[in-house]
Amino acid sequence: MNALSPDTKKKYDLNFARWVYENVDGGDRLSMCMQCGVCSGSCPIGDQMDYGPRKLFMMVRAGMKEAVLKANTMFNCVSCYNCVVRCPRSVPVKYILHGLGRLALQEGYAKPKEVDNSRFADAFWWSVSKYGKTDERLVTAKYYFSAGLSEGIKRGMGNMKIAMGMIKTKRMHLGMPHKTKKQGELKAILAKAVEIQNRNHGEG
Amino acid sequence: MSNGSVNSQTILVVGGGIAGVSAAVEAAESGYEVVLLENAPTLGGRVAKLNRYFPKLCHPTCGLEINFQRIKKLKNLKIFTMSSVAQVAGEKGNFTVSVKTTPRYVKANCTACGACAQAAESDVANAFNYNLDTVKAAYLPHEMAFPMRYVIDPSVIGTPEADKIKAACSYDAVDLDEVESTFDINVGAIIWATGWRPYDPAKITPYSYGESPDIITNVEMERLAAHDGPTHGKILRPSNGEAPKKVALIQCAGSRDYNHLPYCSRICCLGSLKHAAYIREQYAESEVDIYYIDIRAHDKLESFHVKLKADPQVSFRKSKPASIEVGDDGGPIVKGEDTITREVYARPYDLVVLATGMEPSNAQDRAPVTIEQDEYGFMVPHQGDKDGMISAGVASGPLDVSMSVQSATAAALKAIQAVSSNA
Ligand SMILES: Cc1cc2nc3c(=O)[nH]c(=O)nc-3n(C[C@H](O)[C@H](O)[C@H](O)COP(=O)(O)OP(=O)(O)OC[C@H]3O[C@@H](n4cnc5c(N)ncnc54)[C@H](O)[C@@H]3O)c2cc1C
Ligand code: SF4
Ligand code: SF4
Ligand code: SF4
Ligand code: SF4
Repeated sequence: MNALSPDTKKKYDLNFARWVYENVDGGDRLSMCMQCGVCSGSCPIGDQMDYGPRKLFMMVRAGMKEAVLKANTMFNCVSCYNCVVRCPRSVPVKYILHGLGRLALQEGYAKPKEVDNSRFADAFWWSVSKYGKTDERLVTAKYYFSAGLSEGIKRGMGNMKIAMGMIKTKRMHLGMPHKTKKQGELKAILAKAVEIQNRNHGEG
Repeated sequence: MSNGSVNSQTILVVGGGIAGVSAAVEAAESGYEVVLLENAPTLGGRVAKLNRYFPKLCHPTCGLEINFQRIKKLKNLKIFTMSSVAQVAGEKGNFTVSVKTTPRYVKANCTACGACAQAAESDVANAFNYNLDTVKAAYLPHEMAFPMRYVIDPSVIGTPEADKIKAACSYDAVDLDEVESTFDINVGAIIWATGWRPYDPAKITPYSYGESPDIITNVEMERLAAHDGPTHGKILRPSNGEAPKKVALIQCAGSRDYNHLPYCSRICCLGSLKHAAYIREQYAESEVDIYYIDIRAHDKLESFHVKLKADPQVSFRKSKPASIEVGDDGGPIVKGEDTITREVYARPYDLVVLATGMEPSNAQDRAPVTIEQDEYGFMVPHQGDKDGMISAGVASGPLDVSMSVQSATAAALKAIQAVSSNA
């Protein structure tokens, strides 16, 4: 763990901004933010975020560590890149949000199980790392049931009509999941990616 | 003076905007031979196209007129309009400059009687009004043109219309046989006062310029407000010719933006404050919203800002709009986040004015010379006495008129030092 890493005991942390600048992907550009509002004004899901990106960045600067890491902003971002292409200061907004989201999970501010997007990402990743492809049926099922058995059945039933339609039009298939051809190579690629990630961010 | 051992004391000024004219007049009044080249058919540059000057809201023609009077008294100042630099060879004290002149088709004995314009049939885009309207193919560039001389558009040359135009001139001032020509001059120092051009608003794609006629730029606003502009000074919505009730002025449209011009263009905050004043003067009921990152009213001009802030119909909204969209009725809608209230807004307006910034004149409009430029293409001003090339006005960086004139005086002095140190 980095010496400056957020201390969960503290709500405010005056080192927080510096920590973000140095440890979050793209964080070094965050110091260039001029609080113009283009990112929040461009965001299609701004009204479903606790704080828009601009405000969240101001809170980072103000050392409001706990409020930032407990926000849903990072998890509700849909990576549309509007903010990234429009930001006049070349702040990679989306990347920073994702970095903050990762940090929030890692440091225990957000519970993976309680974050809908995180559970979906887990299901997605499970399929990709296992088969090299996403299998709509398995990803959906895994995601639905991650919310509990009864919730899973409820959601599954609720979307039955859509599923049947997708099967009919061959957008979703029954039977064995599709796989990439060379499973061994897939495993090697993923192992390498983990190695690079650990090298860049340290274990954990 | 082609002999390399003899140094020229002549000073060349390239660009006849307020900076170039000031530098040329100052150097000539100090007794030096001066040659002034201007691309356009008239002097004055961008300033001639402004309606009024901040902060006093006086008329630019006044400042230009004083300079034109000074020019008339100077025998040692030679002016070539419709002329530019094709090539520069040599060095400080001994430059050979080849000058390219495009034909005007009208000689110096033109009395500006206007008979040729009446004979002309075809209409051509009016560059003076940023192509917002048209003029006849034989035209006077604008009311206060200097020189006061008509121009014939090259598009009619070789047609029967050109013959009609020529026949209409009872002073025999039309010369249809004029051709492009090039001649060399020998000079000791060169002042580059090639100015600026507005940043192309079409490049700012989220702002939808060109998708609604009611999204205009600040330079177009100057023409709409000018009595000799396309609407004779009435600020009207281009879409339907009606008076705008709600107007949005968008600051930093293309400036302070790494996707466009990374620097602050320095004058556009005051430009928009001036536009708010134009609108408020014409329409008592109108509301003006100024969208800004921060208002940069430099130097003593803060007082102009303070004055407008006192107007309850003018609102300052701290927000760089994320986008401007075109509504179902064809009118513009400004969208973004108000960074003070945190409100995400979408507000319809009758007229939206983009405060586009200034970028240095196209490097192609300029000459093929090696003068030190900064990372944005402005020519570094402080080196004249060293290599005989000096920059002045906005060619050297974003400046307002008074700062351009100051830099022009400095440039004239440096040019004089450059040619005298050779003597
Ligand atoms: C919307 C707006 C409003 C403004 N309002 C104000 C105001 O109210 N008050 C104020 O102080 N300032 C104002 N300004 C700033 C003002 O316009 C500039 O300070 C001024 O134009 C600078 O003059 P200049 O001579 O440096 O450049 P220019 O006016 O651009 O003149 C350059 C001249 O050089 C010529 N030229 C270019 N290249 C060549 C070449 N290769 N050969 C020959 N000729 C060439 C051009 O044709 C032009 O005539 C405003 C600017 C904007 C955008
Ligand atoms: S768009 Fe960029 S500069 Fe503007 S507030 Fe967002 S991150 Fe900051
Ligand atoms: S990338 Fe995320 S934060 Fe940025 S505009 Fe899209 S949804 Fe909003
Ligand atoms: S060219 Fe001839 S007709 Fe035209 S304005 Fe000049 S003098 Fe008059
Ligand atoms: S002068 Fe004002 S509008 Fe122009 S670039 Fe600077 S801050 Fe933006």
